Amino acid sequence: MPMIEVQNLTKRYRERVAVDALNFSVAEGEILGFLGPNGAGKSTTMKILTGFLPPSEGTAKVAGFDVFEQPLEVKRRIGYLPETPPLYPEMTVAGYLKFVAELKRVPGRGLRAEVERVSGLTGLADVMGRVIQNLSKGYKQRVGIAQALLGSPPVLILDEPTEGLDPAQRAEVRGLIKGLAGKHTVILSTHILPEVTMTCEKVLIINQGRVVAYDQIRKLAKVHGGKAENVSLEEIFIKLTAA
Amino acid sequence: MRTALAIARKELSIYFTTPWAYAVFTAMLAVSSFFFVNSLFDFQRAQEMARTYGWDRIPQEFRNLTDGVMVPFWSTVVMITLFVVPFLSMRLFAEEKRNKTFELLMTAPVRPVEIVLGKYLGGLGIITTTLGLTIFFPVLLTVFGKADSGSALEWSTVLLGYGGLLLWGATCMAVGMFISSLTESQMVAALVTFAVLLPWMLLQGLAQATEEPVRSFISYLSFGAQLQGLMRGVLDLKAIVFFCSVIFFSLLLSHRTVEAQRWA
Repeated sequence: MPMIEVQNLTKRYRERVAVDALNFSVAEGEILGFLGPNGAGKSTTMKILTGFLPPSEGTAKVAGFDVFEQPLEVKRRIGYLPETPPLYPEMTVAGYLKFVAELKRVPGRGLRAEVERVSGLTGLADVMGRVIQNLSKGYKQRVGIAQALLGSPPVLILDEPTEGLDPAQRAEVRGLIKGLAGKHTVILSTHILPEVTMTCEKVLIINQGRVVAYDQIRKLAKVHGGKAENVSLEEIFIKLTAA
Repeated sequence: MRTALAIARKELSIYFTTPWAYAVFTAMLAVSSFFFVNSLFDFQRAQEMARTYGWDRIPQEFRNLTDGVMVPFWSTVVMITLFVVPFLSMRLFAEEKRNKTFELLMTAPVRPVEIVLGKYLGGLGIITTTLGLTIFFPVLLTVFGKADSGSALEWSTVLLGYGGLLLWGATCMAVGMFISSLTESQMVAALVTFAVLLPWMLLQGLAQATEEPVRSFISYLSFGAQLQGLMRGVLDLKAIVFFCSVIFFSLLLSHRTVEAQRWA
């Protein structure tokens, strides 16, 4: 059974169709790269998967639970980093992570250890006592990632996790996400295409709410590359989303 | 319920790390001390008049400090509360929506009822602190005042009066929280809360212009009329039930609004 299963998912805002009959599934332990130009419907799809927005039509299932019918079961299994990291600027990093761990019902005894584990993974150990509003953009983004990892949820939905990071930090986060494969099922949206080639086996490209490509990266290269041997994902992306 | 408590703790820690709460505390103490001194002065003048003209010509309430100073003082604190609560309640939901942290709450395994209760508990904490600061004034009276019958104040009445005051604060907070859940803008939340609370308070005046069955119905709904007994330190069960129902319905509506996010 796939970990994430999306069938005929549609989201309409009045007249405008943001997501149009999306179908895809992600197997357990897989990392799916989720691509598309700005405004293609990536964030909307992710918001529906996490139960923040209801779909207009179609269904989405996480670990066999429908996101609309059994939202609590789904939310218990998802770590979510929204487009804008959901941070309280007045809180310290330690206070914030403790609060999120409590929200996710991490048991009281393991709470400190869990916060320490996650802050170690994301390289936050040195800034734990600092107030979030004084952190650099890169650190804020990392706090956002740390928050998603708390409680070690089986599914991670990361909306542009490397946004605002410098190249070195980006490489770190990439390494971190690669390390999650196998244990976690990950959906990763990003604008930085080489990132996808490095971290994901499979990609889903959407444009104007519709799927334009959904396959393994190698196969995509074969199909759309034509005669050229080493066609990059970037070229495929531009070709597919130009229409 | 552990998550509700976690949310309440978070609310309180944010209130106390921003200057907002301290500005509100200062405003409450500054304005209420002004009115306290005023009613103390009135009381003193009444005493002097009583000595000159005899007690028969002086209103009953000036016979003791509780009725002569604390009761008028509470009625001004009630008004200050009405002005102050919108500034405390406005951020409860509006700020989360503007900051996009509402997404965190709504995608965490937390039920809407826990979010609403947690936020309301946090709000109660801050309004209780604000009102609790004014207990300084009756303590001052007890320490420096003297009466023939021992303590200068009837503390049982004072405590009942403070109970009523807290119930009033809790009511304003519940209404303010519901309004905050409707908007992303804290400014709008504060203004609308004020625009709802003040006319509701003064509904009694409107009642004067109407005919009988309507008149008693409208003045029954008025905050001002319901507060009269409570603010004299009387255990007015009817008013307690009234305010508790307003709180309950406001929480219910807030819950509906948070729940509606799932259907938007």
